[in-house]
Amino acid sequence: MQSDTDLAAKAAKGGEAAFETLVRRHQATVRGLTRRLSRRPVDADDIAQAAFLTAWRKIGSYAGGSFKAWICQIAYREFLQANRKTRPEVEFDESAHIIAFDNSASRMAERLDLDRALGDLPENQRICVVMCVAAGLSHSEAAIATGWPLGTVKSHVTRGVVALRKHLAAEHVA
Amino acid sequence: MQTEDNYTDLTALFEAQDASLDADTFVAEVMKPIRNRARWRTPLLFGAGGLGLGAAVSQISVVLSELPVPSTPNIDVSLSAAQESVSSLANVNPVWALAAGVVIVCLGFITLTERA
Repeated sequence: MQSDTDLAAKAAKGGEAAFETLVRRHQATVRGLTRRLSRRPVDADDIAQAAFLTAWRKIGSYAGGSFKAWICQIAYREFLQANRKTRPEVEFDESAHIIAFDNSASRMAERLDLDRALGDLPENQRICVVMCVAAGLSHSEAAIATGWPLGTVKSHVTRGVVALRKHLAAEHVA
Repeated sequence: MQTEDNYTDLTALFEAQDASLDADTFVAEVMKPIRNRARWRTPLLFGAGGLGLGAAVSQISVVLSELPVPSTPNIDVSLSAAQESVSSLANVNPVWALAAGVVIVCLGFITLTERA
């Protein structure tokens, strides 16, 4: 299997097939990220698509390192841009979670628990949890992507994870 | 890192959610505009470039015959003199100006569409 760096180098030379492999490899992470950030699945895939198109235009500036962190950073910026445009409409929508992911009933319940737990987190904690816990970025990668200090990211993640666990435990007891 | 904070169980839950997303449709949607752009970009660039090159090559002999040949070669040609030469050449034969125009359009197009 070719590394992300090799594929990105080929894509920078115009290799569409290489870029397609990168999209296929990272689409789940990026779409998961945008869905959890935007809370509106309809917009989320548009943001993810815009992120990949931006990545295609700027692939020449990718200087190695984690491609996942790079594309997640682009996706986060796209989310911020989209959020600025549709700010008045960005409200927590419970029904959106039902549309977001479709699977078996038990999975669905688990998913709703997770989404509710995420939805209850303060905005900054949610962003850090989505980046580090859900998308699997390191704290430093998330700090670079958000532009927040590393200590702040760590603190948000720690508190967010505690809150998530508490929420999930309460859901299972109930 | 996530291992330091020991939330791999939560990460696994999120990854399971993400894995259920349909990849094919999304990948096709992303790649569609990229492929469409590449489809017309190459023929347009080569077509315009070829047209410019053809026009330029066809005019070389005409241009050379119009150029004033100094009796003693002088490499210190001023910019204004060069501009005058170009404008006089364009007046003598507009195809030369057309070829230059095509080249400028091609360069502008490449500058606008080329990725970082």
